[in-house]
Amino acid sequence: MARKLRIRVDHNVCVGNAMCETFAPHVFQLNANRQSEAVNPEGDTEEKILEAAENCPVSAIFVEDTETGERLFP
Amino acid sequence: MITAAINDDLFTREVTNDPYTYFGRLREEDPVHWNELYDLWVITRHDDLVWLTRHHELFSSEVLKRDPRPPYPQVDAADLGLYEYVRDFSSDQFIQHDRPEHLEMRKVIHGYFTPRSMEAWRPMVQSAITDLLDAAEEKGHMDVMADFATPLPVLVIAQMMGVPLADRPYIRELAKKLLAGGQGAPDRLRTQTEGMRGMLEYLSPLVAERIDNPGDDFVSVVASGEKRGIFTRHQVLVNCSLLLLAGHETTINLLCNGTLAFIRHPEQWALFKQDPAGWAKRATEECLRYDPPVKSIQRIAAQNVELRDKVLHKDDRLRWFISSANRDPEVFTHPETFDITRDPNPHVSFGSGVHHCLGATLARLEGQEAFKALAERFPSLHVETEELEYQPSMTFRSLKALPVAW
Repeated sequence: MARKLRIRVDHNVCVGNAMCETFAPHVFQLNANRQSEAVNPEGDTEEKILEAAENCPVSAIFVEDTETGERLFP
Repeated sequence: MITAAINDDLFTREVTNDPYTYFGRLREEDPVHWNELYDLWVITRHDDLVWLTRHHELFSSEVLKRDPRPPYPQVDAADLGLYEYVRDFSSDQFIQHDRPEHLEMRKVIHGYFTPRSMEAWRPMVQSAITDLLDAAEEKGHMDVMADFATPLPVLVIAQMMGVPLADRPYIRELAKKLLAGGQGAPDRLRTQTEGMRGMLEYLSPLVAERIDNPGDDFVSVVASGEKRGIFTRHQVLVNCSLLLLAGHETTINLLCNGTLAFIRHPEQWALFKQDPAGWAKRATEECLRYDPPVKSIQRIAAQNVELRDKVLHKDDRLRWFISSANRDPEVFTHPETFDITRDPNPHVSFGSGVHHCLGATLARLEGQEAFKALAERFPSLHVETEELEYQPSMTFRSLKALPVAW
């Protein structure tokens, strides 16, 4: 079974480039301010989520394993 | 009317040399200003800029394709035919597209510029800086523009694109011709089209070769877009040309304007020198905010849009000014103060939204390493002239020269 992820988007940093929405569209969505929100951490595969984090041009996305607390990105 | 006294000529020496006073006044008095002279909305507040950039569906980036008007300021009537060439060339740049095409095009090249992959270039940037500053040290003085700020990013982008290093002066010459397009001279279309033709001619054999034998260089990455049916060959060439140009002109300005800001604020320079490695990131952000490399970006209204008490009509031109947004007192405390400890620093020097600067991470990295090295090696840096001149451009904040000694 896939492990549960905790995903955080730093809104002091997010510029609404929306690449995360492209790579993991069921996890990330832009809010009314056009900044990214992780609306459903289980919406896409871990691979897609990490790809979304990697492609954030301002490194605003943080991903960790909910149970172990292991940091998966960055 | 309060704005009656505002002179709409954006190419005067006064506005060129000090955009902060002019656009700062507009921000306070008429933040959504109709510029009669150029048929242009001038947007100057930080919150408006952020809102506009994040509503790309309302403000089209297809500026050249959608705007039937002749270029501004006026060009020689005999040259107007050349504008069609400029339009065809520039319209193929990925930044001159809206979604969905923009996203498909950007995805071809976006992965090359992620923060993690750019970090791999840091040692190469450091070593290039060492070489350039070694050469300067022997002379005892330098023009930061010609001897440091220009060769560094040209070298980096040339390495990334896998173009022969010996071609760098020629590439810079072509780039200078392309830049004439934004500088207001009535005969600029001749220079600009010469640069565009030169770039296509220079890049054609290189691209053809990389299509057949792709490597891990950036030209091969752009060319892969042709194989996948996303770019035409002309688009591959034009976008390679764009990235060659954008990959260095903006960084030149960051390095020159930042160095000047340090020299003009000795107490900040002293603070920076105490721990260059520790302050490099924040200081670079403050250089980006205080005297940004890019002054303004243009869009065209895709539909009627209400903004404050004005209505921008479909197909109206608008330009937002980073130079004034970065000094908006609603967002920054003591906005006119150069303060390398500023944090957070939500400047908009790379824009925002889906068109946020592709090369932002690279520019930051080059700035951090350059300022750090200058502080470590030339702690008594000072300017050697009273008179500094800027290029008359609405887009770029470019010094003509910055002679310094130590």
